[in-house]
Amino acid sequence: MQPAINDDKRMILVCCGTGCLANGSMEVYRALQEQLATTEVQVETYTKSTGCNGWCEKGPLVKIMPDDITYCRVTAKDIPEIAAKTLQNGELINRLLYRDPKTKQRVKSHHEIDFYKKQHKVALRNIGEIDPASIEDYIQRDGYKALGKVLEMTPLQVIDEIIKSGLRGRGGGGFPTGQKWKACAAVDASTRYIICNGDEGDPGAFMDRSIMEGDPHTVIEGMIICAHAIGASSGFIYVRDEYSLAVKNLGIAINDARTRGYLGPQILGSQLSFDIEIVRGGGAFVCGEETALMASIEGNVGEPRDKYIYPTEKGLWGQPTIINNVETWANVPVIMNGGAPAFAAIGTEGSKGTKVFSLVGKVINTGLVEVPMGTTLREIIYGIGGGIPGGRKFKAVQTGGPSGGCIPADMLDLQVDFDNLTKAGSMMGSGGLIVMDEHTCMVEIARYYVNFLAGESCGKCAPCREGLKAMLEILTGICKGEGSEADLDFLREIGETMQIASLCALGKTAPNPVLSTLNYFRDEYLSHINEHHCPAGVCRDLTRFYIDVEPCTGCGLCAKNCPMDAISGDRKEPHVIDQDKCIQCGECRNQCKFDAVKAR
Amino acid sequence: MKIRIDQQEIDVNPGETILEAARQNGINIPTLCYHEAFGGQGMCRMCMVEVKTAHSTNLVASCTYPINEVIEVHTSTPVIEKARRTIIALLYRTAPQSEFMKKLYQEYKCVENQLEINENERCILCRLCVRACEEIGSSAISAILRGTEKRISTPFDEASTVCIGCAACANICPTGAIELSQTPAGRTIWNRTFAVVTCQRCGQAFATREQLDYIAQHTGIKGSESKLCDDCRKKNLAAQIEQYAQ
Ligand SMILES: Cc1cc2nc3c(=O)[nH]c(=O)nc-3n(C[C@H](O)[C@H](O)[C@H](O)COP(=O)(O)O)c2cc1C
Ligand code: SF4
Ligand code: FES
Repeated sequence: MQPAINDDKRMILVCCGTGCLANGSMEVYRALQEQLATTEVQVETYTKSTGCNGWCEKGPLVKIMPDDITYCRVTAKDIPEIAAKTLQNGELINRLLYRDPKTKQRVKSHHEIDFYKKQHKVALRNIGEIDPASIEDYIQRDGYKALGKVLEMTPLQVIDEIIKSGLRGRGGGGFPTGQKWKACAAVDASTRYIICNGDEGDPGAFMDRSIMEGDPHTVIEGMIICAHAIGASSGFIYVRDEYSLAVKNLGIAINDARTRGYLGPQILGSQLSFDIEIVRGGGAFVCGEETALMASIEGNVGEPRDKYIYPTEKGLWGQPTIINNVETWANVPVIMNGGAPAFAAIGTEGSKGTKVFSLVGKVINTGLVEVPMGTTLREIIYGIGGGIPGGRKFKAVQTGGPSGGCIPADMLDLQVDFDNLTKAGSMMGSGGLIVMDEHTCMVEIARYYVNFLAGESCGKCAPCREGLKAMLEILTGICKGEGSEADLDFLREIGETMQIASLCALGKTAPNPVLSTLNYFRDEYLSHINEHHCPAGVCRDLTRFYIDVEPCTGCGLCAKNCPMDAISGDRKEPHVIDQDKCIQCGECRNQCKFDAVKAR
Repeated sequence: MKIRIDQQEIDVNPGETILEAARQNGINIPTLCYHEAFGGQGMCRMCMVEVKTAHSTNLVASCTYPINEVIEVHTSTPVIEKARRTIIALLYRTAPQSEFMKKLYQEYKCVENQLEINENERCILCRLCVRACEEIGSSAISAILRGTEKRISTPFDEASTVCIGCAACANICPTGAIELSQTPAGRTIWNRTFAVVTCQRCGQAFATREQLDYIAQHTGIKGSESKLCDDCRKKNLAAQIEQYAQ
């Protein structure tokens, strides 16, 4: 049994989320254990491997409690020094502390860093704090307390509490969770199913992975609470196939929950019997769509169907089914523990609670951030994310994953919630936030996402399949300078048809990247079409790079990094680009510290 | 239950789809992937209609929407017509040589667009062939791959071992996309050549050996009956009846 974190003992938490593992955190963890076995330290010290802290870019992270020290980018080689200095003498190792890029100061604890300070953790409350393989750790932090409480309540009371909390599904649609449960409970049937959607096919998003890996019991507890509320006896967790650590940790958690009587027959001596099985996902992005997902569990091809009869009435194997997203499930125990009013006190009128975003792209701090609904884009990107690196200008942020829209700079004060994002021509989706700077071409971005979706749509219905195919051809043409203004009208016509006519939400939302960029960045399309010019300097056929002699210091960095050896010049003299050799990759512009490389 | 479709009040059975109810009452809704033998598939989205319930107004595919409450349906609105026209314009590109799509292209007054046309494309992916093969044949073909790569084929594009060469797929295809060649030497379809059986009466090649075996296996019809083509079998029957009548 692992001891809990308290004051008379010291706890060293090593982040072992997928991101940190990839950077070698397991070696760090082992080195630490070996070191502790051989070193004398005054205070009793324990090590713990935790789930993802959401700050993968700075990983592997090592946190020392209760001293509250956070070391970044730790390697196994740093361990003897950590033991000798920090553990024995309480000395800080400056080199391993986070350096605030604004103040240039070293920061002792992650709690002092804007990236964490400005967050509000509900769904991610335990992640990074507990060992996901330890049910005691979860219980220590109020785990399974909500379940005990719920079993004393009637199913209707539970549903009522979820309705009152205002919780809306975090998987994209934002459907009110309590209403869904109520509809399912009202259907007359002998068998009901519960599904956790852990498919997370959205590239770049990893909030669900983090929860499944870092706090698997919260998902399980949420599902058991629902089982009591709607009267279900079996549940499935559908996990994306690549998520092997999530599968492993969920498997351990399910076993431990069974051993403790939280799963299985007559849970905690009540009438409720419920168990959970893990199913590994089918692969395509569209398999995350609930009807496709259920088809996939049934062993059929993962294609969506029309939902004129909801899954709450006829879902898995034709039985009433509740399907909720991982993050949705993670909120359920919190609501039942703290009560609906406390949860509903966070957020906006129409969107209660918090939302986890995966903040990536051209922003200084990348990673998972959880903030109250209604937080502005500016606060997320500048307050938490630290702004745009390299002193460049912010251009747009894409929200909601591949079929989200791009929101421009003059809308940075938009308060992020389900309804505002939809109104802005984008969506909440799973919570992806991709920040783009002035070197991003919005036409190319639209083309990129359409290309992704063309390969990930199931191809069942005509508007989505043929619409994406046609949009891709048109956008590729515009990026090559072969477009016309009539193309823009046709793009809009195709997009509007897909929005109303497509079978599932993939096709209905797929035109967002195109329509939103057409709305907010039409000038950029027109430059490509009329002037054969890519203002961002991205579309290779429309871009020529040249070096401005004024700012050029002749440092030679560009020449060293050019893959084509196209740049020449004497040291300390302005350099020139040989246009015959240049392939417009833009590497010189990325490297130049003096902003001397320009695109035309 | 009574509902309204385009101002007309009609009587429907609960659970019936809007499309079925409309057709039974002589109201036409355009379709591409629907066939009364197989029911709605919800793929082409041409059958979209506007549905008003007590709470909301939505655009739905009439071939899959079951009527379970009192609703008001409009089968044609400017928005719907525009969407249908766009779908036809896009699908036209997938079978530009077929009379079927050419006619629709004109009917919907599609305006020319700048997209390239590949004259070799033939399939609009309505999947009627797949349904026909499931119902009449032997489930030898299906829609493979996904997204814009989706197409109809046998597993791994190989000559199917279960195909019986009945050609139900080719016969139902509206655009003539399925290659079928028939010579006295045999019938070739889906990369496989089948020996054909000729009618003992008129000498027409009318079925494949595998097809007759399949029918024999599944229905028990054997012997001389199955050696005649449809026409001759009917004539034979007529002649027998005449004999009895005399
Ligand atoms: C193309 C597509 C992909 C989706 N992928 C996911 C996913 O990866 N995870 C998820 O929870 N929901 C996904 N959804 C949403 C689900 O269909 C469904 O609405 C959700 O799981 C319901 O749970 P919630 O109410 O808790 O959000 C996707 C939807 C679409 C249309
Ligand atoms: S909208 Fe796209 S993903 Fe959804 S059913 Fe149609 S083709 Fe498949
Ligand atoms: S006929 Fe209804 S979608 Fe094709």
